[in-house]
Amino acid sequence: MLRTRSTASSSSGSSGARVASPRRPLSSRRRREVRDAYLFLAPGFLLFALTILYPIVRAFQISLFHWAIVPGAASAFVGLANYAHALHDPVFWRALGNTGFYMAITVPTQMALGLAAAVLLDARMPARGLYRTLYYLPVVTSWVVVSLVFRYLFITDGGLVNWVLHDNLHLISYDVNWLGARWTAMIVLGILGTWKGIGWSMVIFLAALQGVPRVLHEAAAVDGARAWARFRAVSLPAIRPVVAFVTVILVIGGFNVFISVFLVTNGGPFDQTQVLLTYMYREAFSFLDFGYGSAISFILTLIVFALALVQLRLFRRPAGSA
Amino acid sequence: MRRNRTILMTLAALALAAFTAAAAAQGSKTTVTFWDAYSSDGPEVKQLETVIIPAFEKAHPDITVKDVTIPYDNLHQKLITAVAGAQLPDLVRSDIIWVPELANLGVLAPLDQAMPDFKTFSSDVFSGPLATNFWKGHYYGLPLDTNTRIWVYDPATLKALGLSGPPQTFAQLRSMSATAKEQGVDLYAESGTGGWNILPWIWSNGGRLTNDSYTKATGYLNGPKSVAAVQMLVDLYKAGEMPNIIVNANGGLGTYDGINQHKYASMLDGPWAFAIFSSSYPSATLAGSPVPAGPGGSVSVVGGEDIVLTQQSRHKEAALTFLRYMLGTFAQRQMAEAGQMPVLKSSEGWLPTIHPYYATYLEQIATARPRTPTPKWPQIDQVLTNDIAKAFQGSETVQQALDDAAHQIDGLLQ
Repeated sequence: MLRTRSTASSSSGSSGARVASPRRPLSSRRRREVRDAYLFLAPGFLLFALTILYPIVRAFQISLFHWAIVPGAASAFVGLANYAHALHDPVFWRALGNTGFYMAITVPTQMALGLAAAVLLDARMPARGLYRTLYYLPVVTSWVVVSLVFRYLFITDGGLVNWVLHDNLHLISYDVNWLGARWTAMIVLGILGTWKGIGWSMVIFLAALQGVPRVLHEAAAVDGARAWARFRAVSLPAIRPVVAFVTVILVIGGFNVFISVFLVTNGGPFDQTQVLLTYMYREAFSFLDFGYGSAISFILTLIVFALALVQLRLFRRPAGSA
Repeated sequence: MRRNRTILMTLAALALAAFTAAAAAQGSKTTVTFWDAYSSDGPEVKQLETVIIPAFEKAHPDITVKDVTIPYDNLHQKLITAVAGAQLPDLVRSDIIWVPELANLGVLAPLDQAMPDFKTFSSDVFSGPLATNFWKGHYYGLPLDTNTRIWVYDPATLKALGLSGPPQTFAQLRSMSATAKEQGVDLYAESGTGGWNILPWIWSNGGRLTNDSYTKATGYLNGPKSVAAVQMLVDLYKAGEMPNIIVNANGGLGTYDGINQHKYASMLDGPWAFAIFSSSYPSATLAGSPVPAGPGGSVSVVGGEDIVLTQQSRHKEAALTFLRYMLGTFAQRQMAEAGQMPVLKSSEGWLPTIHPYYATYLEQIATARPRTPTPKWPQIDQVLTNDIAKAFQGSETVQQALDDAAHQIDGLLQ
């Protein structure tokens, strides 16, 4: 019985599940079990439907209209015109490029540095608890606070970064206008996102590393493997599912960047640092174009969904078969 | 047992009576909700909450005013969310540039219909601010306060630079900026390239944003006088005589901090600057003079707020009572003391006695002009901000930037 149940619950994607059919009529006990299972699932599903599914469906509906925000007012159906507008809108493409750039620089660095910190803190060392807390501190600090602090750090005239690099160390010959140009501003935002996120990936990696059986390390050491070889051949394969999880979550998080951009550059100067969500927010809440804003957010949903699927598929391949 | 029941019933009857009385008291008192973006950096919110509203509630014991102060930068978004959720308050102190947009959405009550004595009030206020309430044949509000931007400077900084006074003309602005730069000070700091920031220079140079009927920007915004005005600022910026906050307000020292630290000598700003400085930077002293004059004179931009009644207000009568009170001499005078310029024509006599700097504002507002009254103003302002910033950054010439902006604004005015 136990085996039947576990086969059914892990059905998606695994080839073993498909063997379970041909279907037999369910016994009354089995039917009760299925009913109970659905009952237990129902509250969670309702919450999911209410807070995730309904907004997605509603956003898609709004994206097909020139949406009138006043309740009861008639909205003009425009079909896919809002999507066509996005495809021809240079600011949308720039926002998409910036979002991709942000994701591309924050995800690998957060993973590499988070993993490095986790490996270091997994070893026996003095004040380990203190370091773990220190690395995690940025994660629990408010986005608003750190965004404003970063803005002040990178101010052109009188900011700490220029003061150190220019006035103090003389590494640069002039005060860099960090937030006044597209790529320097995006790099500042990337540094902020990475700094704030390392602690989170570190904690997840640390938990995974602590779950790797010590005997495997000891066996590898007996076989003559050095630290790097043990890490590569023992730890890394063992935490592979966690690496997949962290990658998927960080990619989704990277694509959803909003607060830091909104507060540090607000998309400026002249829309050079817009990301999808700040652009969507402005179109909807400043210009009242909720149809277009919804189309942008729906496109973002599709991109994130597709990326997550691709990553899960890539990571699902057994190690070594790639 | 029987006695117990009697006691219980008596207690129940008493509780019911107390509840009914409380409900009746609650029912006889109407609550009017008023959203505003009065500044808590200066004395405005305090004046509203400790003087103006208490005095109103004393005179009208049947009305309670619940004021909700929202930071200016959030108020527009909050209003839009409230429109979508049908959760607007009774009254809003709305920036004059949002009134056409809100009226166009159909969420404001036309005051010239909802208020039988509308004419009594509309004839008491300045006509310029009153006009900002007009949209498609109706007045959707009444002006509550008005303002404009004047040249605000710290005389001590100018003196340290060896300058005898603020620039009176464009030519003086250019020469004084160079003098200040030699001593490491920016004479003029501006924190953006939107209409509020740039229009005083375009107008003072004799340029225009659109034609008189607000239907076309091409030929006006990209005309030679408008281009020359923006070019003058771009030249100052490229010579290093203006701080980079004009391109990216977040990228440098803000105007107030810069003036307080004597890194900037002047800015264009409204009367609230004086109130905020006296409470936040008490060591600094400010003075005001008209916007430097160009070939078109000294022309600034009209700002201010209107008070509007929402369609969904369930207490329109009580709300109008408070609205009338806010336009009375007492409330207008109290807010003038907190840094808000009154809209009553009769205030011209007493206003300069409250703060001497009001005299310059009164002088400036006589020639100040409003921004284009259209629901599309937020988009137009964004176009100006983006395109003019490109000219400052050098990726386009001023002519190219304004040609592009005019073309886009033409589309928005259609």
